[in-house]
Amino acid sequence: MDPYLERELMITRRHFFGRSSAGIGMAALAALLNRELEAADTAASQTGGLDGLPHFEPKAKRVIYLFQSGAPSQMDLFDYKPRLDDCRGTELPDSVRMGQRLTGMTSTQQNFPIAASKFHFAKHGDSGAWVSELMPHTAAVADELCFIKSMHTEAINHDPAITFFQTGAQLAGRPSIGSWLSYGLGSENQDLPGFVVMVSQGTGNPNDQPLYDRLWGSGFLPTKYQGVKFRSVGDPVLYLSNPPGLGDKTRRRMLDDLAKLNTLKLDEFGDPEIGTRIAQYELAYRMQTSVPELTDVSDEPDHIFEMYGPLSRTPGTFAANCLLARRLAERGVRFIQLFHRGWDQHTNLPKQISGQCRDTDQASAALVTDLKQRGLLDDTLVVWGGEFGRTVYCQGRLTADDYGRDHHPRCFTIWMTGGGSKRGISYGETDDFCYNITRDPVHVHDLHATILHCLGIDHTRLTYKFQGRHHRLTDVAGNVVKEILT
Amino acid sequence: MGRVRAPSFRSWVERALVCVAVVGSAPLSSRGADDRLPQRVEFNRDIRPILSETCFGCHGPDKAKRKADLRLDSEASAFADLGGYRAIVPGDLDNSELYQRITAEDPEERMPPKESGRALSPEQIDAIRRWIEQGAKWQKHWALLAPERPPLPSVQNTTWPLNAIDGFVLAQLEHEGLAPAPEADKTTLIRRVTLDLTGLPPTPAEVDAFLADESPSAYQKVVDRLLASPRYGERMAARWLDAARYADTNGYQSDGERTMWRWRDWVIDAFNHNMPFDQFTVEQIAGDMLPSATLDQKIATGFNRNHRGNAEGGIIPEEYAVEYVVDRVDTTSTVWLGLTVGCARCHDHKFDPFTQKEYYQLFAYFHNVPERGKAIKYGNSPPLIASPTPEQQEQLKQLEATLASAEDDVKVCECELAAAQSEWEKSLDAVHANTWTPAGGLVAHFALDGNPHNTCDTSKGNFKDGKPSFALGQLGMAGEFDGSRYIDCGDAAVFGFYDKFSACAWIEAKGEHGGTILSRMTDTARADGYSLTLEGGKVHVNLVKRWLDDAIRVESEQSLAPNQWHHVLVTYDGSRVADGVKLYVDGRPEPLKVLLDDLNQSFKTSEPFRIGAGGGPEERFRGLIDDVRVYNEALSAGDAELIANLDSISDIAALPAEKRSKPQVHKLRAYYLENQAPEPIARAWRNLVALRKQKAAVVESSPTTMVMQELDTPRDTFVLIRGQYDKPGDRVSPGLPASLPPLPAGAPNNRLGFARWLVDPSNPLTARVAVNRYWQMYFGVGLVKTVDDFGSQGEWPRHQALLDWLATEFVRTGWDVKAMQKTIVMSATYRQSSRVTRALLQRDPENRLLARGPRFRLPAETVRDQALAVSGLLVEKLGGPSVKPYQPAGLWKELADTDYQQDHGESLYRRGMYTFWKRTVAPPAMITFDSSGREACCVRETRTNTPLQALTLMNDVTFVEAARVLAQRIMTEAGAGQSPEDRITRAFRLATARPPRTSERKVLLAGFGEYLRYYRAHKSEALELTSAGESKRDESLDVGELAAYTTVASLILNLDETITKE
Repeated sequence: MDPYLERELMITRRHFFGRSSAGIGMAALAALLNRELEAADTAASQTGGLDGLPHFEPKAKRVIYLFQSGAPSQMDLFDYKPRLDDCRGTELPDSVRMGQRLTGMTSTQQNFPIAASKFHFAKHGDSGAWVSELMPHTAAVADELCFIKSMHTEAINHDPAITFFQTGAQLAGRPSIGSWLSYGLGSENQDLPGFVVMVSQGTGNPNDQPLYDRLWGSGFLPTKYQGVKFRSVGDPVLYLSNPPGLGDKTRRRMLDDLAKLNTLKLDEFGDPEIGTRIAQYELAYRMQTSVPELTDVSDEPDHIFEMYGPLSRTPGTFAANCLLARRLAERGVRFIQLFHRGWDQHTNLPKQISGQCRDTDQASAALVTDLKQRGLLDDTLVVWGGEFGRTVYCQGRLTADDYGRDHHPRCFTIWMTGGGSKRGISYGETDDFCYNITRDPVHVHDLHATILHCLGIDHTRLTYKFQGRHHRLTDVAGNVVKEILT
Repeated sequence: MGRVRAPSFRSWVERALVCVAVVGSAPLSSRGADDRLPQRVEFNRDIRPILSETCFGCHGPDKAKRKADLRLDSEASAFADLGGYRAIVPGDLDNSELYQRITAEDPEERMPPKESGRALSPEQIDAIRRWIEQGAKWQKHWALLAPERPPLPSVQNTTWPLNAIDGFVLAQLEHEGLAPAPEADKTTLIRRVTLDLTGLPPTPAEVDAFLADESPSAYQKVVDRLLASPRYGERMAARWLDAARYADTNGYQSDGERTMWRWRDWVIDAFNHNMPFDQFTVEQIAGDMLPSATLDQKIATGFNRNHRGNAEGGIIPEEYAVEYVVDRVDTTSTVWLGLTVGCARCHDHKFDPFTQKEYYQLFAYFHNVPERGKAIKYGNSPPLIASPTPEQQEQLKQLEATLASAEDDVKVCECELAAAQSEWEKSLDAVHANTWTPAGGLVAHFALDGNPHNTCDTSKGNFKDGKPSFALGQLGMAGEFDGSRYIDCGDAAVFGFYDKFSACAWIEAKGEHGGTILSRMTDTARADGYSLTLEGGKVHVNLVKRWLDDAIRVESEQSLAPNQWHHVLVTYDGSRVADGVKLYVDGRPEPLKVLLDDLNQSFKTSEPFRIGAGGGPEERFRGLIDDVRVYNEALSAGDAELIANLDSISDIAALPAEKRSKPQVHKLRAYYLENQAPEPIARAWRNLVALRKQKAAVVESSPTTMVMQELDTPRDTFVLIRGQYDKPGDRVSPGLPASLPPLPAGAPNNRLGFARWLVDPSNPLTARVAVNRYWQMYFGVGLVKTVDDFGSQGEWPRHQALLDWLATEFVRTGWDVKAMQKTIVMSATYRQSSRVTRALLQRDPENRLLARGPRFRLPAETVRDQALAVSGLLVEKLGGPSVKPYQPAGLWKELADTDYQQDHGESLYRRGMYTFWKRTVAPPAMITFDSSGREACCVRETRTNTPLQALTLMNDVTFVEAARVLAQRIMTEAGAGQSPEDRITRAFRLATARPPRTSERKVLLAGFGEYLRYYRAHKSEALELTSAGESKRDESLDVGELAAYTTVASLILNLDETITKE
């Protein structure tokens, strides 16, 4: 076969599935095309996805991002503010608020009474991290975690804020962080996409903020870099299963015939796209095996389910998705992102947030422990957090047992672990009202720059030219937060 | 087709021959893989791209970022005296600081600086050297100079060119030492052009007819037929919808539905009627401002309302009001000007000559729309208009005529009616109706005459928080309320925000307290639901999802006197705006003050209907409430007057006619007409009422569509510092960038003037940008690859003379869109075979030199449409509301808690362009095949090749069903033949237009044999496979055989060739 076509074919395959050596299903294809193809591919697997990437030796090979959609309340979970108890119900001082803008939901509210958290906090581990009683399992692994208490963003509403977190811009149209990584680094596993997304529904607030395809979309990058959503109902990947009545043997025969006919066409027309198409059908066939294998957790021992909690046996829960995330990480998927909905506690916060924590606490902590036990934590960066924080003042009526909190972009807490981050530390501080940052602010662009840094990427140099401009995930900003890295 | 004015071949050839003799060719060069620098350096082609990419960031238009006061994008500055030295001195390298710095050894001196991340290659430095040596001739950026109609170049091979396009293409090929490919075979050609012009494949009969037609005009006849097909409009519209970010939802958060399909249909219609592009432009940008604008011209302006609209609870409306205008400016400048003007929102443009101030001058043209930053969450956001479909317009026209004659009928009866009524009045005794009220639409009625029950049904009300209590009321007894007790009426009067309803009661408030009269609302303060209350003497109507930011609240202007009976009646027309709420006090319309007008979600609750309560214990009513009525329609003012009038019919009749009040006269007449009038009169009356209702129903069922409108007093526009909505700088007025031609003299400096300026022949960009996009449709890549950027960062046009010829031709023909398509597809360039040799592939992988025909995968919607067409499932119907075909279950649900209600029947088989487009969860198969997401303007076509596409084609029920129906077709269609060979050949031809070759047939037949053996032995699997989709399996066919053919058909639909235009 024509060496030029071979190269084209090989490059195109790598775009989607990375660049490791050829897998099992390649046999049929290789026989049809040329054995040299395989050899060429194996050789190519030594080099980077984009030329020159990674820019330097990475600490993390992959990222698991546990996105908490709706914005968890930092002062009820991690950012302990003991002095608030004394001023419960009193008006938030103007000197703290400083006239900053509020959302349309509370800007016409007449009072801004302080709602101290009703949950108890304690210090945990050698690091002495403060964690509320809502998160006992996370508290138990506190020594593994790096809490960033000084996150901040510009957006004050969910859609722009979460879009900002995912793409570095508040408005739709930019590539998501995972598609930037697929574009830059490809995937380590040829049978699975480089960027996988899973969503789950919180029990605390079941009709909460929606999600959108754009959050894992590829923006102006080619669509092959978009995240592939693994689903808990129906096919784990859209259209993965053969139609009813069409068995594997028939499918194999059909694909062999299809490859023969497409190869005849390739010989006649010489268009390398035909070669790519032949390869993509083989990859599709392999996904039909590899994805169900991945999502079938029946081979996991009981103690694993026990570690992740009872919900981990129910497909589609956050806990089940955490377990799948570990399986994906084991298989070398580059960017694994979970979205858990339900953190938007405008009213009835104590009850709702308890439900959210029940959904997520045990499984998040289990994932950290599980990765560590398997030796995967060192090169897997795990991030846990939402799109902004919540206000110290109450939205709606403040009662002895009940309160709500509005959106607060000026400070919030996330945690990360593994993949080159320091463990058992807290970074950044907020004032006594958990309203403004007093030390070491970390902007969303800074977090992006830091995540890319862990993966060996200089965020200023991963660019894509679109409409005349070299775009990057961090726009024109972003500083790597070196202090939290090993 | 009368408008097509493509020059005939003959006339072109004649002119070409003349040109060959007199015109020398300009030096041309490819800039392909084997880039060879031309001897003669040309600034625009060779130097500007280097400077733009490497230098303009710091030495470009953006004055804020400019370093060393050096500007290299303007001629004056590049050659200026910078204090004893100059950046560029023509012909003098030693004194050209620019050259000295880019070649400096000292890293401190060397440009570009290392930290910029930019670098110059030795070839680029060499080009700059030679340019300076050759005299450093400067050129304004090519795209900002008006195109001049280029002379046709001379070519050696004078037999190949068929029209002007070919002359330009061939001249370059000859310069490159290449020859064009032979013409594609006829079968390939008719499939290519049919897919290109209609988005659907040719039928075997069409292929046969073309093969049989040996006349020289055979191909042209096909092209003319295709251009005349209504499918052409659909095909052309599909790409325009991407550019216009058209969708069926609002695009933010829960992403509610909107209806803009009237605009989409306008686009299809415009293409099909070959509306000239200048008119197409003006109507879409400013149709509303044309003198006596028609409904269609207003609908056209939906182009700039297709952007997303945010209705999220906490947004700051001012922020989004700015984003909408920004979207309009960016989209309009991308689509018409091919400029990335949006870069100048926050700072002066870094590469092109647009200042930030100029950006906001453009912004000002689009800033006068009477809209709000907070959009409507479910539905269209104002400004919007009712836009009855042509059928509905016809229906209305007829109804109006019938109505006029029905009104005449009633008028004719008028004398007779008056006489008959007065006769009847005399005959009336007290036995006749006393307290009559019209009963239409009444769904709940609490007379409160000693019990709290609903007289409309058997449900019972119950007093709560106190003992039942009644007192003498307006009509018999009334319920008595003490600030604590209320009546729980159970599940009555359920309404949400799309529902029309009316509710009324007689009330006598004791003292100043008032309280809730009636409600269906949570019984806590600031609760959700609806209520009619009396607060401080004023009547309030509350329709509330969330207090403060998701509610309608209105208040009566006047206070009701306490301790007196008043009738209060509220109507709501389901329009979700405060304007849709009307209040009547004592039968008279009551002016309202709008307190909140931000309702975005339904106020429907599971609370009971309560009389005297709702909204918390402190809001309980004090006083008497009588005769509570609820209607499931928005009553008219006339109805309100009737209901509030308590006079009995016999009492009114007993009054002398001249003593009767107006309401009394109305009531008596209404009663008489409804109950007592002699049949001819009653019939005429009933007829009139029925017709009025019919008309109202048509008006109501008319879709609305969002449009552009102009405020009477223009809004002020300010430069927004760093582009932020809350950081206004200097005030600006509408205006055009200085680097583009000015408005023609006398043109109004408003949106209409701007629209006309876009298509003024002096505009250097619009025609080029438009024809370049057309080119992209046919060849996969534009002549300027960056179809969305003609600025200095954009690609230098590969065939500028050809681009300019096409642009000037477009204008010369009166912006004739069909003629332009025809010119392109009639060219020999387009008709070339798309086979490629290894050498050519290496030389020109992207086919930018056009030494072969285009070959690339079909667009997403065509992949679908073709499968449906080939099987015969396709339902062809132009326009109408978007449809919801198959989609994997739960896709919407898992992201946004809304269910996808899949359609059935013919809606499953419409063309892909009619598929309901939810922006936040776009149709998955479309996205997989590289559709634009429709969140923002998209004009660049991209194509990827992924395993997800393979999975979709193999397993999506759309394609499995199509395969089965295709199998049925070849098994039953007359002429398909009986043998497997014949049938498979037929299927292959349907999909690819050609018969399979022997080698291919062998593979297919062998496969078929195996499938047949398998499915004959596994009948249940055969049944399963052939049950895909909602169309019925042909039960007369052997199911094993059908399954085998289905498998073969599926294979054929999966062939690379099938989903490829070649």
